[in-house]
Amino acid sequence: MTTMPRWPHGQRMALVVSVDFFDTHAILTQEPRMAGREKSLSVWQYGARRGVDRLLQVFDEYRVATSWFVPGRVALEHRALVQRIHQAGHEIGNASFACEDFDRLSLAQQSECLSAAQAALTDVTGEAPAGFRAPFGNWAPGFTPHLRAAGIEWSSSWRGDDRPYFHPSAAASDAPLIEVPLHYELEDEPYFTFNLYPPVPVGQPRIASYREVLANWRQDFAGFHRFGLCLPLRIHPEILGSAGRIDLLRELLNTVRSHDDVWVATGREVAQWWRTHYRENEPGHPVDVLAPLHQQASQL
Amino acid sequence: MPVRQNLWPDGMRSCVALAFDVDGPTGNAMLDGSIWRNPSFFTLGSYGPWRAVGYLLDLLAEYRIPTTFFVPAWVLETWPAQIKSIVDRGHEIGYHGYQHEAFWQLTRERQQEVMAQSLALFRRHLGLTPSGFRTPSGDWGDDTIEVLLDAGVTWSSSMRGDDRPYFIEHGPSGRSLVEIPGRWELDDYASLAYQRSPDFPVGLDRIAPYETTFDNWRREFDGSHRGGLCITTLFHPKVSGKPGRILLLERLLQHMRAADGVWFAGCGEVAQWWRNAHAATGASA
Repeated sequence: MTTMPRWPHGQRMALVVSVDFFDTHAILTQEPRMAGREKSLSVWQYGARRGVDRLLQVFDEYRVATSWFVPGRVALEHRALVQRIHQAGHEIGNASFACEDFDRLSLAQQSECLSAAQAALTDVTGEAPAGFRAPFGNWAPGFTPHLRAAGIEWSSSWRGDDRPYFHPSAAASDAPLIEVPLHYELEDEPYFTFNLYPPVPVGQPRIASYREVLANWRQDFAGFHRFGLCLPLRIHPEILGSAGRIDLLRELLNTVRSHDDVWVATGREVAQWWRTHYRENEPGHPVDVLAPLHQQASQL
Repeated sequence: MPVRQNLWPDGMRSCVALAFDVDGPTGNAMLDGSIWRNPSFFTLGSYGPWRAVGYLLDLLAEYRIPTTFFVPAWVLETWPAQIKSIVDRGHEIGYHGYQHEAFWQLTRERQQEVMAQSLALFRRHLGLTPSGFRTPSGDWGDDTIEVLLDAGVTWSSSMRGDDRPYFIEHGPSGRSLVEIPGRWELDDYASLAYQRSPDFPVGLDRIAPYETTFDNWRREFDGSHRGGLCITTLFHPKVSGKPGRILLLERLLQHMRAADGVWFAGCGEVAQWWRNAHAATGASA
């Protein structure tokens, strides 16, 4: 009963590497006590200082095109760096203006964050982003048409599947937004993010074993490969771009490159493929189950 | 304490009653309504019934393991085709609330309503009447045993405190449930589940290594098999039915299949066996 998706040129699976270049903004939203704590904030500033270039070097070594999500404010604060990412052939996506928590914003405020970021990113790179990531994963019902109106073609924010899917459209004539869904086990942050005080994560767990995380990722890759799925690797320059962890990325890409049937693509390419080869979700898709209830909840 | 040698049928040495809780997105966030404003969390949970159940059924067919799936009736109502495929492929379905209600916090009347509502949906969509129950969120109230017995339930897999089945007596009526207890060590939430907003684990502890998780589970089986005992699992399709973790379950099934004398049976079959085996000697085992 399980169906395998189709990928270009008879490839067995797709792999999308996405990089959240959030600098200090996501952590400041998530943990407001971080404000003014220079030592703690420097943990997240390491990305711009060192991690971004180290990731770019590995992507160049392995000839991998990736999708970066950048808040508008980070583009304005790190203009040359974001231009360098873009000029290296990577896709730059919109990650709101300053990693706002959309759960605390109205639809109109969410739309303002989107537009402000879209303007900033277009100004910095000369190209309007086609991808969007809600930094904390959610948006209000009715936001999808705003994304489409801003020129966004695809998102990688939600979960619930191992292949792309269509967000419901407001009108049948609208080209739908494509989702490239995430999986926590394929993100570096749950395994590695750490700060002593204020504590991140809140329960102060140990930093995970690098070797074991690589083994988990390799096994996840083997599973996605077996079932022919779309693997979304989500990483951060301040986490995986460190001198000690960068080889985890290299070793994972070695595993990927040892197969000749993996389509390594940007999110935009995967979304375009999905849009042209699929018409709709299979019946009962979680995103379609949610849509009316999401709408209803916003009206309470 | 060693168990009697003839605990299982046909000279089998130990028993494995593999089981999954197909919770999907049900649970506290659905019960309080917050999930409808939380698309990331809703879709995270939905992955289980929507996608992972299909991979699991293929795996279970390959290793010929009869399995029990505990399904909140809301999940059945929402994904009837996926849940029907569980039955079509020869597995058992058990009660698990409507939206994963915590029975210990419900009045007797509300527990009765949840059971009746669930039964109506199982009959309508699947044409069956479950005989077993796993209490959502682990605990039940003083009146739950009677509610279950009155609803026609004959066995439960809700408790944690033993490594073999036992009887739970309802003194006033002389009736009993067979309990097939699970263990946290064989709950995939204890090692692999992870989510943000709402956070799990509450302190956001790390996802465990698959390799050491396999080793833990393998040792749990080995110990149970050596002692001639019974294990069931509290696995969740949305957690251990994900693509990379299917490979972990595959290793576990391979390991268990390689042992001699393992009786693989659904919880209902184990409960029936236990009741018949102990009918002559009374309730104590």
